[in-house]
Amino acid sequence: MFELDPRNRKPIYEQLMEKIKELILAEVLTVDEKLPSVRMLSKELTINPNTIQKAYRELEREGYLYSANRKGYFVAPIELHADKKVNELKTQFQHLLREAVYLGVTKEQIAQWFDEIEKGEEKSD
Amino acid sequence: MIEAKSVTKKFHNETAVRNINITVKRGSIYGLLGSNGAGKTTLLKMMAGIYRPETGTISIEDVPVFENVFIKKKVCYIPDTLYFFPQNTIAQMAEYYQNIYSEWDASRFNTLKRVFQIDTDRKIHKLSKGMQRQVAFWLALSCMPSVLILDEPIDGLDPVMRQKIKNVLFQDVADREMTVIISSHNLREIEDICDHIGIMHQGELIVEKELDDLKADTHKIQVAFKSELQEKHIVDQLEVVHQEKRGSVSVLIVKGEESNIKRIVRSEKPFVFDILPLTLEEMFIYEMGEVGYEIENILL
Repeated sequence: MFELDPRNRKPIYEQLMEKIKELILAEVLTVDEKLPSVRMLSKELTINPNTIQKAYRELEREGYLYSANRKGYFVAPIELHADKKVNELKTQFQHLLREAVYLGVTKEQIAQWFDEIEKGEEKSD
Repeated sequence: MIEAKSVTKKFHNETAVRNINITVKRGSIYGLLGSNGAGKTTLLKMMAGIYRPETGTISIEDVPVFENVFIKKKVCYIPDTLYFFPQNTIAQMAEYYQNIYSEWDASRFNTLKRVFQIDTDRKIHKLSKGMQRQVAFWLALSCMPSVLILDEPIDGLDPVMRQKIKNVLFQDVADREMTVIISSHNLREIEDICDHIGIMHQGELIVEKELDDLKADTHKIQVAFKSELQEKHIVDQLEVVHQEKRGSVSVLIVKGEESNIKRIVRSEKPFVFDILPLTLEEMFIYEMGEVGYEIENILL
């Protein structure tokens, strides 16, 4: 269910967190759905179980998952992670924006892009 | 849990291990790295209860290990040079282990046959180096140990077998909270297996950390500025362990928090700025460089 890239140099628990977040945001994993157990995922992906435990714990801390005592981890209700989604987008957006500013794109142009999107005509320039 | 408290071991005038403190938590997989002759094997042999430390104590589950039969029944050690009785077959060797290790699980031994797929009636000495290593794992994992000590275990195993053995190890860690300690020079492999890392040099432990923390703490950055002065300015503010210049782009190895580094570098408006993750191999080389064990390219 999760494919990790062995050539990616990011720590495995971070890769795992990103994958799970993606699946939650894309609603492939739905609210209250149970995630595979640490044991099973470790066996399936051949990853240190402590690494998976860590990824799950971090996701719980960030509000994407909740744990029911000893029953495992579940996807948290939408309201809990809606803000997170916006925050996530913000960082991605800022990254692109920084590049755009370097290239000399003005505030007006960006505002214009915004209007275009709102009107539903997605033009690239 | 394995705990070493101010442990020193000498051989004649040679101090192999110098005042080491180390804690390996239950259910964790600990990678022991180090330069050649750093004292890794000596430390592992003390953990396995084979050597008696000169000073300090090594305990497993709060009981000193040396000459302690009760604890040693729960500990399996696979040395870097394997030993099997001459002329013994796998089945005979298994029988011997069964008499020694009270936790021996015969059904586990049979299940693992599917992993290793070697005929148990074959004489171990006639097997190849890699196959002998497989037998060592097979026997050790059938003993159902609480602690597994592995000295250079990956040597000689093919990639498929490595993956299979890793998988079995992880299952034991997940199911029974087995504690594993591994020494190796294959850092790529260690990076995939371990959650904690210790680096030894000349008998001392110079780094002990959670692998992810070690990764979060050291960064490789690529930067280019308009002027040398700007670069000097940021270098002064950062904890730079290594610096290299390739044309107008500088590669820096910096310690500290990522967000902090970003803030400092961006304040000088660089042309180019990338943070690249470090591999364990690079981290090892830089950590060793800090204690004076550096790569020097000697001209011949």
